[in-house]
Amino acid sequence: MDDESLIEQLTSAHREHSPQGEIRFAPAFHDLSEAAREQAYELTRVARGLEAALDADGLSSTARAVLARITSRG
Amino acid sequence: MTAEARDALLPDIAAGDVQAFASWLAHGEPRIRLSLKRFARFVDTEAVLQETLLRLWQVAPRVRADARGDSLARLGVQIAHNLAIDHLRRSRRLERAQLQEPTTDDGEEPAFTDPLLRTVIHECVGKLPKQPASVLRCRMESGGTQPDEALAERLGMQLNTFLKNFGRARQFLLECLERAGVEFDSPRRPI
Repeated sequence: MDDESLIEQLTSAHREHSPQGEIRFAPAFHDLSEAAREQAYELTRVARGLEAALDADGLSSTARAVLARITSRG
Repeated sequence: MTAEARDALLPDIAAGDVQAFASWLAHGEPRIRLSLKRFARFVDTEAVLQETLLRLWQVAPRVRADARGDSLARLGVQIAHNLAIDHLRRSRRLERAQLQEPTTDDGEEPAFTDPLLRTVIHECVGKLPKQPASVLRCRMESGGTQPDEALAERLGMQLNTFLKNFGRARQFLLECLERAGVEFDSPRRPI
């Protein structure tokens, strides 16, 4: 996979959890250069802003993922 | 939403009100993400941010609002900083990260809750080509709960095609917004 696709993967809010519940780094993070990671950070900021603006409650996919985690724990 | 209004949510958040935490997240999340900028070369800031937000929810019953205001957000910036430093220590990159600029908490990162902005973005989304539109919608509907591999499979796309279409959707939206006079603080293109 090329850097452009890896960067797009890193902009996703989906993250795996360890059996202990710790949130793991995205695999794509480890395959990217430091400059590309910085690019992914900036693109993620933009994506979350767009998501929040489109969401009726003003929530991004990061917020949705966290809330899903909280509610699934009961 | 003002800092006072965010602090006013604290008792409900502490009592376990998920809706109150959701209201706070709309404003608190962008601020904490912005504070992690200096670490973006060395840690997965999305993972650190989500871990921070989960910890904030857990410790909220012990947080007290103080005169400085925005108590939960300030604590979140501190937790995020500490988590990032922990990751750097584990990967032995701390010295390099300390060469960068210090962690800053600029206070406000704008929350994108303006109804007019939402209308403009919706209009731009409506103009998206079919495939980028379906990819954007699919990722948003999943709310970060499913990996891109699963989303791509649901749309009958190869993962690489899915990812390219997501990038195209974002770029299309940014250009559409620019034409409408709305500027997002963003890089122009993926490298």
